[in-house]
Amino acid sequence: MKDSGTQADGLAQGSARPRPALPAVHLSRRHIPWAVGFLALVALPWATPNAYHHFILNLILINVILAVGLNVVKGFAGQVTVGHIALAAIGAYTSAVLAAKFGVPFWLALPAATLATGLVGALVGVPSFRLEGAYLALATLGLAESVRIAIGVTDYIGAAVGFSDIPPPEVFGRAIVDHRAYYYIIMPLALAGIYFSFCILRSDIGRSFKALREDSLAAAACGINVRKYKLLAFVISALYAGCAGSLQAHMAPGFLHPNSYTITEMVTLLLMVVLGGLGHIWGGVIGAVIVTVIYDLTRDYYQYQMAIFGSVIVLTVLYMPRGIGGVIDDYLNRRRFVAVRRAKAKASADAS
Amino acid sequence: MLLEVKRLTKHFGGLAAVQNIDLAVREGEIRGIIGPNGSGKSTLFNLISGVYQAEPGGRILLSGENITACPPHEIARRGIARTFQLLRIFTQMSVLENLLIGHHQHVRYGSVTASIGAASVWAEERRLREEMLDLLEFIGLADYAEMPAGELSIGQRRLLALGRAMAMRPKLLMLDEPAAGLSPVNVDKLLHTVLALKQRFGLTVIVIEHILKVVMESCETVTVLEHGEKIAEGPPAAIKNDHRVIEAYLGKEMGDAEVRAFLKAM
Repeated sequence: MKDSGTQADGLAQGSARPRPALPAVHLSRRHIPWAVGFLALVALPWATPNAYHHFILNLILINVILAVGLNVVKGFAGQVTVGHIALAAIGAYTSAVLAAKFGVPFWLALPAATLATGLVGALVGVPSFRLEGAYLALATLGLAESVRIAIGVTDYIGAAVGFSDIPPPEVFGRAIVDHRAYYYIIMPLALAGIYFSFCILRSDIGRSFKALREDSLAAAACGINVRKYKLLAFVISALYAGCAGSLQAHMAPGFLHPNSYTITEMVTLLLMVVLGGLGHIWGGVIGAVIVTVIYDLTRDYYQYQMAIFGSVIVLTVLYMPRGIGGVIDDYLNRRRFVAVRRAKAKASADAS
Repeated sequence: MLLEVKRLTKHFGGLAAVQNIDLAVREGEIRGIIGPNGSGKSTLFNLISGVYQAEPGGRILLSGENITACPPHEIARRGIARTFQLLRIFTQMSVLENLLIGHHQHVRYGSVTASIGAASVWAEERRLREEMLDLLEFIGLADYAEMPAGELSIGQRRLLALGRAMAMRPKLLMLDEPAAGLSPVNVDKLLHTVLALKQRFGLTVIVIEHILKVVMESCETVTVLEHGEKIAEGPPAAIKNDHRVIEAYLGKEMGDAEVRAFLKAM
C-alpha cells in the first residue's frame, strides 16, 4: 500500500526527483479511512440477525489469519509449502487438549497453542534448507497427511469420531458460545495479525524474504543468512496457523474432526493466497474473504468444488499471476502515473 | 595483506577447475584477473565468496582471519562483496530495494522490534533509504529508484549490481566481468565509476575482465589463469609481452600479424 500522493507532492515541492513513500507514524488524514474501516468491522455483526452469517463471518476471519500466515511463507519467502493446514490442525488440537483435558482456560490455551505450533513450524522449515519448489511441496505434503492420519488414529483426541466438548472461552465467567460474541474475540486478533504482517513485510525482514524468494544465492552474497530467514518465515506462518487453529477449536460447537484438515482444505487455502495475490501485502486478506464466501455459497455443489477451485488456481496463475492485489496495484499505479504526467504537463505549461 | 589465498583447488568431476592457486592482494590494490574462457576465473571467485567449498588443503584468509569454511553470508558480513557474471539483481524488486538488500547487514533493528512496528523501525528505514538514495545518486541511477530493477537496461543493471555490492560497505570488492556487453562509451563510464568508488571508499578491488583495455588501464597487477592454474602475474606492461599469456590467448600456432593485432587490441 503506497501513498498515492507522494510522487505528485514531490513535483509540487519542486524537488529534483520524487522521493519514495515512507510509512507515516504521525496521525493524519490518511488514517481516517482506517478508522472508518475499523468502526465498520465493529458494527458488521449487527448488520444481520442471522446466526449462520455470524458463523461465516468468524470463518472468514479465521481464514484471513491462516491465509495471511501462508502468504508470508509462500508469497513472500517463496517456499512452496503444503503443510500449512497441518499446522492449523496442530494448533487446534493442542488448544483443545489443553482446554478440555487439562482445564486450561482459553486465554492461556490460545497463546500456548500458538507458540507450540510456531515450534513445529521450525521443524517443518528444516527440509526447505535442501529442497525447493515441487520437492519441498511433496515433503510438506507428506508431513501434512501424516499429521492428519495420526490424529485420525489417536483415541485420546477422539480419533476419527472427532474431538467434541471443547470448552468455549469465558469472559467474566460468561461462556462465549454465541457466534456474534465470539466475533469480538476473533476480530481484534485478526486485525493484530494483519498489523504484524504489515510491519514484518514492510521492514528489512520482508525485504529479505523477497530477496531469497527471487535468488537465494544472490541474497546470501548480500549477507542474508538464507537458512535463518527461511526458518523465520516458516515460524511466523506457523504462529498464524496455530492461532487460527486454536480459534477454530474453541468456536461453538467446540468440535474438531481430522477431515477438516485434508488436502482439499489446503488447496482452498492456496487458492486464497494465489487469488488474493502471492507476495501482495493484502493478498491473504482479499483471497480469504472472497474464497470463504464462494466456498459457502457453493456448498450445495461440493462434489464440483475442488474441480472449480483447482481450475481457478491454474487460470489465476496463467492470466493474473499477481492476483487480485496485483490488479489493484496496477490500476493505482496507472492512476498515479497519469496524475504525475498531468502535474508535469501543467508545470511546463505554467513555466512557458 | 587483505586477501591471501593459498593452494586453492577445486575439481568438478575429473576436471580441475582451479588448481593450487596462490593469490595475495594488498589493501587498496586493484587486481585484474584474466584468462581465456574456462580458465577458472569465476570458480576462483565462487570459492573466495563461499559459493563453492574449497578442497582440503586450500586456505582463504581475509585480513589474516581464516574464512575458508564460512558460508556465503558470513563472508559477505566480513567484508567481501561480489558481483555476478549474470548479475543476479533482484528483478522483481525496485532499484532502491536492491540496494537496501545489499545494505541488509547494517540494519540496526531486530526481528521482534520490526514485527511490532516500533517507531524506531520506521525512523531507521527512513535513514536507510536516504543513505541508499545518496548511493544511487553517486552511481547515477537516482531517477530510477522506484522502478522495478527488471525494467532497467543492461548497462543500468550492471551499475545496479555494482551499487548493490557497494551498499554492503565492503573492504574487498570482487567484480566478475563488470563491463561485459557494454558499448565502449559505457565501458568508460563504468570504469570511471569503479575508480571513483575505490577512491571514495578506500576499497580493494579484484576484477575479472575480458575487455583487456579495462584491465590494462586500471589494474596495478594482473594475474593470468589458464586451465585452472596461474601462469603469470605482474604489472600490465610485463603481462602484455609474456609469451605464455599470448600463447594462452592465441594458441601456439599464431603468426606475427596475429600477435601484433592482439597487442594492439590490448
